[in-house]
Amino acid sequence: MRLFPKVLLFSFLLPVCLTASEELEFFEKRIRPVLAEKCYSCHAADAEKLKGGLQLDHLDHLLAGGETGPAIVPGETSGSLLIESIRYENEDLQMPPKEKLSPNIVADFETWINAGAAWPDEPVPQREGRSNDGYFDLQERFREHWSWRPVTNPELPAVSDTDWPRQSVDYFILEGIESLELRPAMEIEPSAWLRRVYLDLTGLPPTPDQLRTFLEDEKPGAEERVVDELLASPHFGEKWARHWMDLVRYAETYGHEFDYPIKHAHEYRDYLIRAFNTDVPYDQLIREHIAGDLIKSPRRNPDEHFNESILGTGFWYFHEATHAPTDVLANEADIMDNQIDVLGKSFLGLTISCARCHDHKFDAISTADYYALTAYLHGSARQEHPIDVHRVREKTRGALEKLKAKGNSMIEEEGHALIADPTAVEDFAEGIIPEGWSTSGFAFAGGGAGPGLRFDEKLPFTVPGTIDSGVYGKKQVGTLRSPTFTITEDHLHLLLRGNSIAVRLIIDNYQMARFNGLLFKGTDQEGIDTKGKFLWLTMSGDLNKYRGHKAYLEIVDDGDGYVILDEIRQSETGKAPPVPDYPEAPILTQPQLAILRKGEALVNALPVPRFAVAMAEGTKEDAKVYVRGSNRSPGEEVPPRFLEALGSGQGDRLALSNQIANSANPLTSRVMVNRIWHHLFGTGIVASVDDFGPMGQAPTHPELLDWLASDFSRNGWSVKGMIRNLVLSSAYRQSSSSHPALSPGYLAEVDPTNEKLSRMPVKRLTGESIRDSILLVSGNLNSKMYGPSVPTHRTAFMTGRGGRESGPLDGGSRRSVYGAVYRNFLSPFMLTFDVPSPFGPKGRRSVSNVPAQALVLMNDPFVIEQSHHWGGRVASKPVSAARKVDEMYLRAIGRSATPSEQEKILAFIEESEGDPGSRWAQVAHVLFNTKEFIFIP
Amino acid sequence: MHCKNFQDRPFSRREMLRGCAMGFGGVAMRALMAGQAEAKVTHPLAPGIPHFRPKAKNVIFLYMDGGPSQVDTFDHKPLLKKYNGRDPKEVIGKLAPTQFDNVGKILQSPWEFKQRGESGAWVSDLFPHLGGTEVIDELAFVKSMTSRFSEHTFANYFLHTGSGFQGRPSMGAWFGYGLGSENENLPGFVVLNGGLIPPGGLDCFGAGFLPAAYQGSVFLPQAQPIANIQPRFSPEVQKRKLALLRELDLEALPDSEPDPQIEAAIQNYETAFRMQTAVPDLMNLRGEPDSVKKLYGLDADFEQTRTFGLQCLLARRLVERGVRFIELTCPNVGHDRWDQHKKLVDGHNRNCKTVDQPIAGLIKDLKRLGMLEDTLVVWSGEFGRTPFAQGADGRDHNPFGFTLWMAGGGVKGGSVVGETDEWGYKAVRDRYEIHDLHATMLHLLGVNHEKSTFRFSGRDMRLTDVHGHLIKEILG
Repeated sequence: MRLFPKVLLFSFLLPVCLTASEELEFFEKRIRPVLAEKCYSCHAADAEKLKGGLQLDHLDHLLAGGETGPAIVPGETSGSLLIESIRYENEDLQMPPKEKLSPNIVADFETWINAGAAWPDEPVPQREGRSNDGYFDLQERFREHWSWRPVTNPELPAVSDTDWPRQSVDYFILEGIESLELRPAMEIEPSAWLRRVYLDLTGLPPTPDQLRTFLEDEKPGAEERVVDELLASPHFGEKWARHWMDLVRYAETYGHEFDYPIKHAHEYRDYLIRAFNTDVPYDQLIREHIAGDLIKSPRRNPDEHFNESILGTGFWYFHEATHAPTDVLANEADIMDNQIDVLGKSFLGLTISCARCHDHKFDAISTADYYALTAYLHGSARQEHPIDVHRVREKTRGALEKLKAKGNSMIEEEGHALIADPTAVEDFAEGIIPEGWSTSGFAFAGGGAGPGLRFDEKLPFTVPGTIDSGVYGKKQVGTLRSPTFTITEDHLHLLLRGNSIAVRLIIDNYQMARFNGLLFKGTDQEGIDTKGKFLWLTMSGDLNKYRGHKAYLEIVDDGDGYVILDEIRQSETGKAPPVPDYPEAPILTQPQLAILRKGEALVNALPVPRFAVAMAEGTKEDAKVYVRGSNRSPGEEVPPRFLEALGSGQGDRLALSNQIANSANPLTSRVMVNRIWHHLFGTGIVASVDDFGPMGQAPTHPELLDWLASDFSRNGWSVKGMIRNLVLSSAYRQSSSSHPALSPGYLAEVDPTNEKLSRMPVKRLTGESIRDSILLVSGNLNSKMYGPSVPTHRTAFMTGRGGRESGPLDGGSRRSVYGAVYRNFLSPFMLTFDVPSPFGPKGRRSVSNVPAQALVLMNDPFVIEQSHHWGGRVASKPVSAARKVDEMYLRAIGRSATPSEQEKILAFIEESEGDPGSRWAQVAHVLFNTKEFIFIP
Repeated sequence: MHCKNFQDRPFSRREMLRGCAMGFGGVAMRALMAGQAEAKVTHPLAPGIPHFRPKAKNVIFLYMDGGPSQVDTFDHKPLLKKYNGRDPKEVIGKLAPTQFDNVGKILQSPWEFKQRGESGAWVSDLFPHLGGTEVIDELAFVKSMTSRFSEHTFANYFLHTGSGFQGRPSMGAWFGYGLGSENENLPGFVVLNGGLIPPGGLDCFGAGFLPAAYQGSVFLPQAQPIANIQPRFSPEVQKRKLALLRELDLEALPDSEPDPQIEAAIQNYETAFRMQTAVPDLMNLRGEPDSVKKLYGLDADFEQTRTFGLQCLLARRLVERGVRFIELTCPNVGHDRWDQHKKLVDGHNRNCKTVDQPIAGLIKDLKRLGMLEDTLVVWSGEFGRTPFAQGADGRDHNPFGFTLWMAGGGVKGGSVVGETDEWGYKAVRDRYEIHDLHATMLHLLGVNHEKSTFRFSGRDMRLTDVHGHLIKEILG
């Protein structure tokens, strides 16, 4: 430190050899007053709230220390945290917090500690009966809070009005209603029920034809048939996948300064839509999300046979990300915080991330629990997984392996074990992919110990002792990943040959160097072409900043190129070793050439690759607990494991997923049935759907919640089955007006917030549903499913960095779920109607009610454009004006127009000017603005 | 939800609503007055009650996007001149990592500093207007501000929301949540966008987990400042349509217990309709005398001065209309806002030329109209800049010590608090951080930052999280 050279000079003048009494005098004069003035308000027995568990009012306390360990080591300033903190060296531990002590006071403390930290013999002040900031008893918390109790399977309660219940859930609801001497609301009109169930299940209203079919179906079971039809509709997945996307903060860009793209994000969205449409059991969905890459027999797409399970893991990677973090470990810790937050809230309704800096303030979750979960993330890697449609890549590789075996048998040269070079990080001496290395895709293979056939006519034999992505043809794609290692030198050299490939050094899981090299220069190299020769590729640049950091290498061949990797070294100098001579390859014989061409033809027929972001297994690691959440204060190490309150089970990520996707887990099934309830009934049984902890809300119907949860896991975790039961219930059929016989005054007194559900709450359509309904009603909805997102339409008000080209005003008339989600350029229409900005799990959207919504529906060009489409269509129909009005009402609102509505609209048409199309467009526009259009009564 | 919604009502709500269905515009006001008691329940922007007597009623936040250099503006450090050109690692000591890791030499300020006004505040030549005697003694400087982030987006979110990540409510939203708005026809939180949306995008002005009603509305300084404010049809057609809409909406309401949500949505059309008039009225400067326009620099040669001048004038007009929180972002000066990683001289010259006269004009005008005592004006970037160069002629980000100033309601003009070290690098005396700024701003508007909470995700969330101390030294 050279900050205050002059002052330090003075401090050397202080006597360093003191007698015992002089030491005590020094303490009393120079140390204790400072402690009392600057520290005791937070660090003494009589402090109102003890901070960091540390008292500084007696030597015993200083030696015992607080959360970060002993405050001082007598005689050793360098090992004393107290000195570190008052010197302001550690940015997360600067004391006193508001103002740095003057250099001579700091020097006094150094002198005092160097001399042995003298303290007079006096009683040790204790904090009796005062609350400690750090008090935490996990077991006590576990015992006290309801959501940790096992799920029970309660009996159906007895009710008086036994005619009312249709479904088991109705007994619980009715019991609650009767307990307050209330009455359930009247049944809603069939047409209104139909509209309600259509919008809840598919996000779209029924068409007039669908409405008529239902109303004319007089056979018993009409409701059941409609519900089954809706559950089977592809629109079901489009609606319910979007609910899930709110939880995993689905986005297609990283936000921050330049809003860099999260490529291939839509593959995850499509996976979700398919998963909800095929009713993948919820426990399976969880396993696929957490560890789909590790499932031994993955679920295969029924039509295209690719691995569906692995696509679920994409959810881990929809976090925000910035380029050029000055502290890459802190950046990693922040991203993990977000990942654990999503994991905890989405699947368990737990605020695990609250335990990042300290044990959870209210719940049975320790800081060790939090970091044990981060260990899974430390031990994983982000991969771009090639989606193998019809398994054609796998099959081609298999076929080529057979051909290669035949071709290899014709080579006379013997294989020979190469001698491993111990100074290299890795030299692939055996010509096989070494243990700890892993691959994605079907491109990479060992070059073998001796030359073997290679399916590239220009380079027909493998180089012994290498790893090669072109053995089975250049059109195979894949990634080779090294184990995690520590960067010990300033330069990393890779001896390789290839073209059109990338080499990435992933330091502390930092993934953004590919977009912006700032602070990470040289660690990410793309478009490498060695012009047909072996040469050393050197990574230097900013590597010197990361000595001591952990990293792994990725060799990426994601196109028509290839790479042959021979050796990897770290070195002090930027100068690479000489390139060795490579032995002559054998001569290709005619029969070998024939085999080679056969193989090449197969591999050349491979389609253009398609990728999805997924998780891959990395090198297993324990995680360090970051004391107070700071990576600059690493503490004890914890192995990857599940929460202590739920058994601390260890094992890999798949084992973790099995502990969550488990009927014995008290949270998982409760949390999911509650989410479904929330979407159908407007409010969850536990209103705080993402928080089942002590700060969340208590269940209004605890027995119902348990009944549903046990029913859910007992019946194969079927989301569709659960939805079916709920929408066919009497509770769901209630009107939103309370029973006419009920006095509003009494109702307001005993159940002001409708906790007992004695009527259906009015729900406003989601932003997506409003837009999609407008498209459907105007006759323009394009029901094409899946694929890359439609870019957001940009208005003059959406400026800033990272902007993309504007998409069409009508979003290609596709459903909103197919609209792009650019973090820095979110659709204003969607934001106005509370579609959340993707930062963390949001199981319960806010429902605002603001003039801006009226302005959008009144003046937004999209709404006007669709009104014109609809008006034009209405005008051109050869039916009477009255009939037109009726059809419009049926189409937009799901009921016929009343005579009075007819009259008003016809009068309006009469008084309007312009051609019929634009007159009817005005009516269409008015109907889009009616409250009945955007609210479900 | 408030239980009042469910009590017996003295007369039919439908009748009441119908009462204002006679036409859009003036007549509707009556119904709003009549319905005021209930409007509080349903209207999130209804005026709220402060915790204690406020010093100011409105905030104008002058956001200096990119991070102005403290050592070139208000934090005078003669030592930089002495050591100019020396290696900072030798003379300062260990340096914290910088964003661009391209540390150059100690760089003295290219501008001269002088003490100005009665208070003797140090101001560089960059701010001739702010340094003027009429203005400078109104300002209170905090020279020991710190941030926790040295990257723009993190730091922007932090400055605006108290958290480095996306998704928290912006301070303007918190003010609206705590205090409501005094004008039903305009949003409570308006961002006057000079041309640059800061890194992090519109989420710097978002409502986060607060209801969307509190989010910032971005106005551009142009005739049509916000999206969808311009009616797409003639006033006659629109009136007829809205009248029909209202008839249809009322007809569809059930006879008893209409849902308060639906009622509020019907009312929103009244407000939206009036906003269509209120916003153009705000933008119409015909009533402003030329002398006032001149004060703000609307006649300046430099285009960006005119833009920012218009923003400042609009800010005053918004305060006059009772808008609670107004934020101004910077115009594009052809350089990277205040973010002078290189060409410090040219970049800071242009930025100062853009804001100096308009801000000075704003303060003089507020004084002239007796509005300054009710208005809190805050000038700040998301962080400061390094006292040593980045490369040859720039400065890198510096979150360890920077200067902001406040003026107006409740602020002790002419005061200075805090100090950076002798280099202007790190705050060393009376260090304050963003949470302290937020706590102080809330305090001046009568809100206790520890008591203004919103339950989200199992926690009582605050703008200041678990932090925040008042910057007492500058309170009047």
